[in-house]
Amino acid sequence: MKPVSDRALWIFAAAALALPLIADGNKFLAFVLGMTYISLLWATGMNLMYGYVGLMPLMFAGVAGIAGYAVVHLTRELGWSFWVAMPVATLMAAIAGVALGLPSLRLKGFYFTLCSLVIQTVLTLAFIFFPTYTNGDTGINQIAPPDWFGGRLSGLGLELMIALFTVAGILICAWIARSPLGQRFVAIREDDILAEAIGIRVVRCKIIAFFIVSLYAGVGGCFYSVYIGFVSPRAFDVLVSMNIWLFVAFGGRGTIAGPIIGTAILAPIPFLLQDLQAFKDILSGVLIIVVTLLMPGGIYGAWLARRRRVQQAGVDSARVQESRV
Amino acid sequence: MTDAQILILMSTLSTGLILGAIFALVAAGVTIVYGCVWLPNASNGQFFLLASLAAWTFTASFGWTSAAAAVGVLVLGTALAYLLEWTLIRRLYDTPNRNVAYFVVTLGLTQIMTGIFSLTYAKWSDQFTLPPIVEGITMFGPFPMPNNRLFVMGVSLLVLVLLFVLLRYHPYGRALRAVFQNREAAALRGVNVRAIYRLSFVLGSVIIFLGGILFALAYSYDLTVAWTMSITAFAIMIIGGPGSVVGALVIGMTFGFTQAIVSIFASPTAATFSYLGAMLLILLFRPSGLFKR
Repeated sequence: MKPVSDRALWIFAAAALALPLIADGNKFLAFVLGMTYISLLWATGMNLMYGYVGLMPLMFAGVAGIAGYAVVHLTRELGWSFWVAMPVATLMAAIAGVALGLPSLRLKGFYFTLCSLVIQTVLTLAFIFFPTYTNGDTGINQIAPPDWFGGRLSGLGLELMIALFTVAGILICAWIARSPLGQRFVAIREDDILAEAIGIRVVRCKIIAFFIVSLYAGVGGCFYSVYIGFVSPRAFDVLVSMNIWLFVAFGGRGTIAGPIIGTAILAPIPFLLQDLQAFKDILSGVLIIVVTLLMPGGIYGAWLARRRRVQQAGVDSARVQESRV
Repeated sequence: MTDAQILILMSTLSTGLILGAIFALVAAGVTIVYGCVWLPNASNGQFFLLASLAAWTFTASFGWTSAAAAVGVLVLGTALAYLLEWTLIRRLYDTPNRNVAYFVVTLGLTQIMTGIFSLTYAKWSDQFTLPPIVEGITMFGPFPMPNNRLFVMGVSLLVLVLLFVLLRYHPYGRALRAVFQNREAAALRGVNVRAIYRLSFVLGSVIIFLGGILFALAYSYDLTVAWTMSITAFAIMIIGGPGSVVGALVIGMTFGFTQAIVSIFASPTAATFSYLGAMLLILLFRPSGLFKR
């Protein structure tokens, strides 16, 4: 997998930060853009786990939910500033993510996925059955936007802030992917026994991965609750985890560009469908099957493979030419 | 013992037996497919619901008797299972680590079917019931037991026994167990592995469909049963040992009685919670389950 070039990253960062300014005129467009950015932040975290470490954490949305609910509780009930509450809530989510991930460290493949699905289900049930913090099935509405020097940060300002965090998240992910840690992750993905044999501490790497990924989930969860202004157990259930997974798998796992492409294409769809939410489930179900059966590398992966073939074809035909001469 | 105590005891016993038999049936359907094809069917709850809803449509909309509806659903279900095998399932037969891919594919199927159900049946009714196949009531002392439920219990236990005999003594069952144990060696001995895969998937799916019909005959149900059933069947499979029909039977019965007893004191959700906890513990400490294949 060719690492993405620095120039492409900076161009993307600039474009991503400029987009909210352009979309600002149209409220609906701006909102879809903001939600896409939050999804992108989540997808980047999911990609770190699924694309680089090779584990499929279906409890991702649940961990995001912990941060989402925590930030609401801290700002509403205890009166904290959002900018204090967010790091605390994110850290809580990260610790919870590591604690929930610990038992499944020994598992891999299907058993890991199943275990994470069970944990996600327990978290969803917990969100429903602990109404003191979550207000149960009804959810919490009218969550105020974050405070900002006496005023409130909403609209364009909040979208820019989300874009900033998302871009930072992607840059950090790209940096991790190139670092020795990222290479260890890839080694674990390819063969964890072999990785252990060449001296990589697999368990420690996985714990670090859990921590980082839960940070991504947590930051996304905090922004989600203040941006939408409404949280309910449905916002953090297993379907959300599957959706985020689909963004990564559809775009191309284990690449920086893949999740960006996947999220940009898929995340806006539910907002365009509006009243037809059931169709969204059907559509994403179909896409999940199509991606798994036909495009295991996702769009970007397929494109990379094709480009490699085309380039290789040129080299091969040149060799044939030489051997004939 | 007073009459009231006998009543409670008998009702717990009968609920436990019926639920346990149906749990065991569905879990057997899931576990056979997982043991053989390496396909963890996450959409088993939706299959289950599909069969019971189809039977409801046949009886409520077309005016068929429950027996005719059951036969119709089983025929259609067999066709559907072959169709699924032909379009989706066979494409991954030769993939390494295909259980994750299959898990994801069946989660996709779950989403599709959930979407379809919420667009259709959810708008038509909240509760679904089938007319009984067998009329009348048998009295066990002071306890009245509808013959229909006795019939459901009998059929599910009979199918479980047949399944066990099939896997143990029939040539197909031997071939299936051979593929369980070592696919390459079975192929070398002349077993058509792909045909066995196909048969197992269809057999497992039809058993799940049958479980759905039987459940619909015994109880009235709503759309959330799919979710509960998925969790329960997976928990039974993991705890009983993937691929073990005996494990499915024993653990399924245990869960049925747990559910019946817990439902006296608390909500059935508490039972679901306990299954999740038990599954988690088994996953952590003994991923191969309690029973051998």
